[in-house]
Amino acid sequence: MPGFARVLARLFTIQAAWNYERMQGIGFGHAAEPALRALPGGAGGERYRGALARQSRFFNAHPYFAGLAVGAAVRAELDGEAPEKIARLREALCGPLGSLGDRLFWASWLPVCASIGIVLVAFGVRAWAALAFLVLYNAAHLACRVWALRAGWRHGMQVVAALSAPPLKASVRLATPLAGMAVGAALPIAFGWQLRGALPGTMVAAGAGAVVFAVVLRLAGGRTSGVTLAAALLGATWILGVLWR
Amino acid sequence: MTFLQVGAAVLMGTLVGLDLASVPQAMYSRPLVAGLLGGLAVGNPIPGLTVGALLELFAMDVLPVGASRYPDWGPGAVAVGALAGAHPDGMLASGLLGLVLVAVVAAWTGGWLTHLVRRANAASVESLRVALEAGEMGAVRAVQRLGLLRDTVRSFALTSLTMAVGDLLSTLFAREWPGPQRIAQVALAATSIGVALHGGVRLTGRGRQALWFAGGLGAGAVTVTAWLR
Repeated sequence: MPGFARVLARLFTIQAAWNYERMQGIGFGHAAEPALRALPGGAGGERYRGALARQSRFFNAHPYFAGLAVGAAVRAELDGEAPEKIARLREALCGPLGSLGDRLFWASWLPVCASIGIVLVAFGVRAWAALAFLVLYNAAHLACRVWALRAGWRHGMQVVAALSAPPLKASVRLATPLAGMAVGAALPIAFGWQLRGALPGTMVAAGAGAVVFAVVLRLAGGRTSGVTLAAALLGATWILGVLWR
Repeated sequence: MTFLQVGAAVLMGTLVGLDLASVPQAMYSRPLVAGLLGGLAVGNPIPGLTVGALLELFAMDVLPVGASRYPDWGPGAVAVGALAGAHPDGMLASGLLGLVLVAVVAAWTGGWLTHLVRRANAASVESLRVALEAGEMGAVRAVQRLGLLRDTVRSFALTSLTMAVGDLLSTLFAREWPGPQRIAQVALAATSIGVALHGGVRLTGRGRQALWFAGGLGAGAVTVTAWLR
């Protein structure tokens, strides 16, 4: 792929100009641009300008997997595919890449790594806990970015084939159980860490409070968020503490 | 806190704020890391890490999925991490409660400011529409740079504001708290674990996947019981 390193580097800023109209579109075009310079006529040529305008239109997917679409779209542009086919390819990839990334990273790998970090803090590993979190998380993150761009370029218009790769399918199958297990295991440990040395009554009150809090959030559905409810409860506790006589 | 320490914390908070969405999404904006960075800025990382780990539990509720509006924990976590680190004698539970409350409000404010930045970015796209449709790289670059600049200003303002408000409130919370410290301790544990518990249930949903979560809870409970003995 022409300008692979530059495209990869720019993919890290794919969301810098995220907006409600084109979403990641501007970042997509910005990332694809170094490779588009290889089009006949070079940078500023007619084909280059047409391709850059197309690649800067609406796009939204998971940022780590967006490279797959960038690689495929650039390959299609250099292969001289029809503009309508390229536009359809970009549109068709938004949903699957968004859903795949959300499942694998936001809803799985991130909670897994965060849980490991919290458990390490609880067990007194101190600053190494944050470092372990960063290294573990980013090993997968960076590998995904590089793989995505390479696979997109390799497959071009047939990029969907890359999404059915066996390791990817296996990761999707394992993602939710792994995240559930890791978060589940971290919670009692985090509870014990916060209340070590506390009286049994304090522990019972905090445990019951946590369960009630989670149930209230669940019942509230989309009407409130954990952040809002937590702020309200912590604020009320502060007022109670100040007024205490 | 010296002027240099405040400057270091604000710089870190700004970089951390950019990580959430703009660049590079390497997750050093997660509170666990951001809190530690705040503590490091004042030369005392462990209290920052402690408050960061606590905030990480709150952050498990809403994941940064798609185009949804999500809280920005990073700049607030850096600010309160620095404030926790700057406390010479460590913090009482009531002081910690104050910092967590400030960070929670900052996270919500950060999410709201991100929404404003995204609307402003849309306005930039609108004003450069003709050039963008003509495939001018200068226009693409201009929108990218404006987006980065806006997010930098947002992160800088959020960190600075959180540090100012947090400093005031944490002092107030620590001094003006005649109530028993265990009330603050119970409130912190109940809300942080409650929020993360809700996040975990939502992550796995009902059915077979929930069994993995339940299994994890059981394994964690056995581990913590053995540990606390």
